[in-house]
Amino acid sequence: MSVHASIAGILFLIAPGPRAVAAELVAAGAVSLREPLTAIAREFESRHPPTRVLLTFGASSTLAAQVRAGAPVDVFVSADPRIVDRLEAEGLVAAGARRDVALNRLVVVAAPGLRTPLHGAEDLLAPGIRRIAMPAAAVPVGRYAREWLAARGLLVALEGRLVQTEHARATLAAVDAGHADAAVVYATDARAARAARLAFRVPDTEHTRIVYTAARVGRAGPSADALLAFLAGEQARRLLEAAGFKAP
Amino acid sequence: MSAGDILSIAGLTLCIGAAATAAVVPVAVALGWWLVRHEFRGKAFVRALVTLPMVLPPVAVGLGLLWLLGRRGPLAALWEAAGVDLVFTAWAAALAAAVVGFPLATRACEQAFAAVDTRYEQVAGSLGLSPLASFFRVTLPLARRGVLYGALLCFTRAIGEFGATAVVAGIIPGRTETLALGIWSRVQLGEDSAAAALCAVSFALGLAAMWAGERWLRGDAP
Repeated sequence: MSVHASIAGILFLIAPGPRAVAAELVAAGAVSLREPLTAIAREFESRHPPTRVLLTFGASSTLAAQVRAGAPVDVFVSADPRIVDRLEAEGLVAAGARRDVALNRLVVVAAPGLRTPLHGAEDLLAPGIRRIAMPAAAVPVGRYAREWLAARGLLVALEGRLVQTEHARATLAAVDAGHADAAVVYATDARAARAARLAFRVPDTEHTRIVYTAARVGRAGPSADALLAFLAGEQARRLLEAAGFKAP
Repeated sequence: MSAGDILSIAGLTLCIGAAATAAVVPVAVALGWWLVRHEFRGKAFVRALVTLPMVLPPVAVGLGLLWLLGRRGPLAALWEAAGVDLVFTAWAAALAAAVVGFPLATRACEQAFAAVDTRYEQVAGSLGLSPLASFFRVTLPLARRGVLYGALLCFTRAIGEFGATAVVAGIIPGRTETLALGIWSRVQLGEDSAAAALCAVSFALGLAAMWAGERWLRGDAP
């Protein structure tokens, strides 16, 4: 085989051919949903052969920006319904093509070996808390955390201690590694902590209601609609609850 | 992360690097030769332009490509009409890698052609070879080591590309997740050992490629 033929062969293999696309769905999910959404996708695949679900995870805001730029996403699960509202207003999510699938809560985690006692929001002001990991305000967990701290009148005082992270899991990873002293993370993410410890739970009366919303993005397709329905179904609810999420 | 995952990420990375290099080399050879053999006004500016993707922040290159290829850019209607949707595909990753690797290949080709004595070409011409034939039968064979070295530099830069690729191809495991993107996303997830495994693969590939280059393309270069 000539070099040209080999290159053509390689290109053919990596090219997203129409036949491959027909049996493949791309689901983009908030990174805090990583494990349950992976389990849900595998379950969906086993019930809808030969459909394959490719998963990509990140900050919901980043994923939404990719959708806007034309990423071939079929189903998007956001950690903040306001992000889906905006996509809907922009015509990227059809009216009605969305379902709330789960609820979450906020907790505060502390770095391993942190000496400063951390039992309530005001404790974050202690001089021993020098760095607080938090994503940008556009990222759902960054927004929920800021809204809570602002409601408690602490955000301005803490602004100088915030170190920006990429998304919810990166925030936890920063505390796990001891790069940050504390962080506001999802209760579900705190369960995955390796070294960081749970400092205290944020009362859910104090933070914005955290709702995960799944939406079909762009063109309608029977398998995309089936996945959306599956995400809001009984099987998915059970997997989400096993990961610590609550039903909406 | 399984060995299968690592293999598929590495395989995709190599395919993207190969596609980018295959696209770049013919252009780099033509442009490199032209820049060496022709004097014209504004040559310094053209060379600066050629080098630009190497010095720009890769993220800026990615944004530029996204703008050109995307649904909101100036060519959106053209892509729509042609039914081409490159953004967030492996093709977009290859294109990003090609743009970033292009200056390296072109610069190396320029050096390679500059080292070829023009008298060989003159002799070839006096013996009746057309300029094109003399290029392929005399100039290019004499410059081949430098050209191949440029191709290798382009390839290694392509397989390490991160910034531009992340913007224009996203990080879709199984479709666009290359080694560099995989390392980044795993570091973000706090999966340090998986990130380290991918780093080790990158290290091995990069070292193997550059060592082969030094050994066979630079060692006893004419």
